[in-house]
Amino acid sequence: MSKKYDTPMLDELEKGAFPSFVTEIKRAAAHSDMSNDLLGHTETCYKERVTHWKHGGIVGVRGYGGGVIGRYSDMPDKFPGVAHFHTVRLNSPSGFYYKADALVELCDLWDKYGSGLTNIHGSTGDLVFLGTRTENLEPFFAETSSRGWDLGGSGSALRTPSCCLGKSRCEWANIDTMAITNDITQHYQDEMHRPAFPYKFKFKVAGCACDCIASIARADMSIIGTWKGNIRVNQAEVANYAKTMNIQAEIIDMCPTGCMKLDGKELRIDNANCNRCMHCIAKMTKALRPGTEQGATLLLGSKAPIVTGALMSWVIVPFIKMEPPYEEFYELIDKIWEWWDENGKNRERIGELIERLSFPRFLKEVGLEPSPAMVKEPRRDPFFFWAEEDIER
Amino acid sequence: MSDLPQRQTDIGPPHYSKFLHPVIAKNYGKWQYHEVLSPGTMVHVSETGDKIYTVRIASPRLLSTDTIREHCAIAEKHCGGYLRFTSRNNVEFFVDAESKVAPLVKDLEAKGFLLGGIGPRISNIVHTQGWVHCHSAATDASGLVKAIMDECSEYFTTKELPNKVRLAVACCVNMCGAVHCSDIALVGVHKTPPRIDDVNVKNACEVPSTIASCPTSAISPNPATKSVKIKLEKCMYCGNCYSVCPAMPIADAKNDGIAIVVGGKVNSLRSNPKFSKLVVPWIPNNPPRWPQVTDAIKVILKAYIAGAKKHERVGEWIERIGWEGFFKETGFEFKYQHIDDFTFARETYRMASTFKWS
Amino acid sequence: MEKEEVKKIIYALVEASTGKKKLKQSDILKKVSADHGIEKDEVKAALRDLVDAGTLIFTYFGGSFIEIPPK
Ligand code: HEM
Ligand code: SF4
Ligand code: SF4
Ligand code: SF4
Ligand code: SF4
Repeated sequence: MSKKYDTPMLDELEKGAFPSFVTEIKRAAAHSDMSNDLLGHTETCYKERVTHWKHGGIVGVRGYGGGVIGRYSDMPDKFPGVAHFHTVRLNSPSGFYYKADALVELCDLWDKYGSGLTNIHGSTGDLVFLGTRTENLEPFFAETSSRGWDLGGSGSALRTPSCCLGKSRCEWANIDTMAITNDITQHYQDEMHRPAFPYKFKFKVAGCACDCIASIARADMSIIGTWKGNIRVNQAEVANYAKTMNIQAEIIDMCPTGCMKLDGKELRIDNANCNRCMHCIAKMTKALRPGTEQGATLLLGSKAPIVTGALMSWVIVPFIKMEPPYEEFYELIDKIWEWWDENGKNRERIGELIERLSFPRFLKEVGLEPSPAMVKEPRRDPFFFWAEEDIER
Repeated sequence: MSDLPQRQTDIGPPHYSKFLHPVIAKNYGKWQYHEVLSPGTMVHVSETGDKIYTVRIASPRLLSTDTIREHCAIAEKHCGGYLRFTSRNNVEFFVDAESKVAPLVKDLEAKGFLLGGIGPRISNIVHTQGWVHCHSAATDASGLVKAIMDECSEYFTTKELPNKVRLAVACCVNMCGAVHCSDIALVGVHKTPPRIDDVNVKNACEVPSTIASCPTSAISPNPATKSVKIKLEKCMYCGNCYSVCPAMPIADAKNDGIAIVVGGKVNSLRSNPKFSKLVVPWIPNNPPRWPQVTDAIKVILKAYIAGAKKHERVGEWIERIGWEGFFKETGFEFKYQHIDDFTFARETYRMASTFKWS
Repeated sequence: MEKEEVKKIIYALVEASTGKKKLKQSDILKKVSADHGIEKDEVKAALRDLVDAGTLIFTYFGGSFIEIPPK
């Protein structure tokens, strides 16, 4: 065992009610020199109030261009255990469900080949194994892939798609998010493992507008379940809610479209004016359910503020049935990627490209019809272009 | 290493159906409603009459294999081995009868696990890597999360709020943690551009890739030193150049710190998803407990609890009282940095004379 | 064209570019396809062979590129 470090600042973070990451690092340090050196390294960052990591260019497994993120300490002499401390991303199962035996098997492998530390999950939605050396990457990959696990994406490639748990345990899911996510993940393995895009691309799938996976904020393609037709109402349950809830104040007055009213004891909804925000359904789950003609709205483009400001995804397909084999969906995705590949610059996200070249042009070139569902309001100016066929010669 | 098994490629993850509790598998797509039984437990009821009870505990997200094995042992003992993780990194256990909840809860509590996070409360904080693992970090993420959640743990385990409050921490402006749509979020910010070590840039970095790495084209060749130079007014301190060229470190202990943004959300309930907006431009790093940061968060929470109507999220409350009202309620100082001069600036100016006095 | 031929063309292109401009996978597919009239899928298959064999590798410098592995 290597030497024990004094970590007064980190020790402070073991106090308090919430579970502590420091305790986790110490547990791993009891049997891993890498994690032990991570303690010393992190304490130094805390003392000096700066990071001591360097980015790495070229680490990975043979044949793949993603899934491993190179990480090196800039103090390798002091902390040799974290001289290399690479991240391995594994595709997570849809819905983040596991069985203990499978997880324990991964833990055993990670104790053998890595630091014993993980993130469950990384913000990408991957199972993240935090900290190993270059020479351990191939063995860890052989051991995990032979047991049915595969690497996630990094670099200019597709990221591991992720989703809310959808129909597996949520009464509001309008689409089978887990089946869709698994299908996309399997369909696009090549795009995940062999970077071929101008930059990263993420799919996130939510079963309804509650968006428990934050798809609208952090996926280039956000797939959000919705319905057409009428909200299903169980009036007996409405009457039950009325005993404990002020339906007028908490539901009707908070409906953004003003489309609900009480008619005696019965709740009436003007469904044509409902925008399917989910407020009433989420608050009166026994009484109200989404309509039965279910599908998804596709939105495109969200990204963090770097470089030109944050974007949330916006509507490109108001309604699509998301049922296997998802042919219409995959055809559209392939067209979008082709357009991005033709026109995108290195490191340009799809949302930024559309901003640069124009949304109408994007729609035209990937073959989507314009719809008022795509905008909050039409443009305010007459500075638009006409196509040749619009002009009389 | 000849004893290694044969590697496979492009197989993707295991199919989720292998990991579903039998009651979840049987009632897939048939759930009818759910009830929150306590801050850490809920029940989902199916059209078939079946019920699945979920028990949720906090996790620091950074987990040792030892702790994962503990989770697994409890899942084996009580849940047939089945468990899952939420998108905010909590751990969930499942049992199929009410009588099985109490023994599970008892074992979890005996192990020191913290139950909660369900309902109108503060759930776990979505966060990124920080000093524990990232090269661009302007602050730590795990430490901030721990410091904040310790201060707010009652809102995880017991107390209710007007609605959920979703927190996030990103340790630099790349915002891996997607903080730009959270009720309250912290972002690590650098205030100074990278420092150029000319000799090492010349020796260790590829100048063209370094130049190409800059999203704002702030970097140009410096023929005099065979290195590069940075146009200061163009640099937005993103640290991309440092990713490509280690001779351009951006971390700066005195000038790195934390900004607070509030009022974002991702769901569409009542009002559309919203971006978070800047309320505190910079607080210095003060590890290990960042007291100025936790104090500011408590000020925001207190004002929200006092002012919000039931079901209003932070952003909805602020929109109702106005941002001028928010600054009045919290006493936060309004500075030049609060006024947008970036991409979407115009949309944020008040083109009307109807504001409230603050 | 034979796959081995395509592989030689790709390797020569990456070699000629080394130290000048980093090539992305899609740069290679577009250029070889345009210059030699080969379907992109064919170029992609040949490139995949080269990467699987370790003759070329993916690198990451703020974006993913195809390069000759360092000695
Ligand atoms: C130049 C830009 C960027 C660089 C060099 C960069 C680099 C990295 C690195 C090295 C990691 C791995 C951290 C670790 O596990 O050690 C990482 C993680 C991540 N990055 Fe970035 N990143 C960049 C931009 C972005 C942007 C713009 C976003 C999103 C908006 C983003 C989202 C993420 C996320 C979500 C993670 C996972 C974080 C986690 O699991 O906690 N990155 N990034
Ligand atoms: S996004 Fe909607 S369907 Fe999915 S888990 Fe959340 S509430 Fe349920
Ligand atoms: S879903 Fe939203 S818009 Fe529709 S009726 Fe309910 S509260 Fe109103
Ligand atoms: S937010 Fe910044 S510092 Fe934090 S993990 Fe992402 S890139 Fe690294
Ligand atoms: S920190 Fe970012 S913006 Fe500033 S010079 Fe480096 S790459 Fe350019």
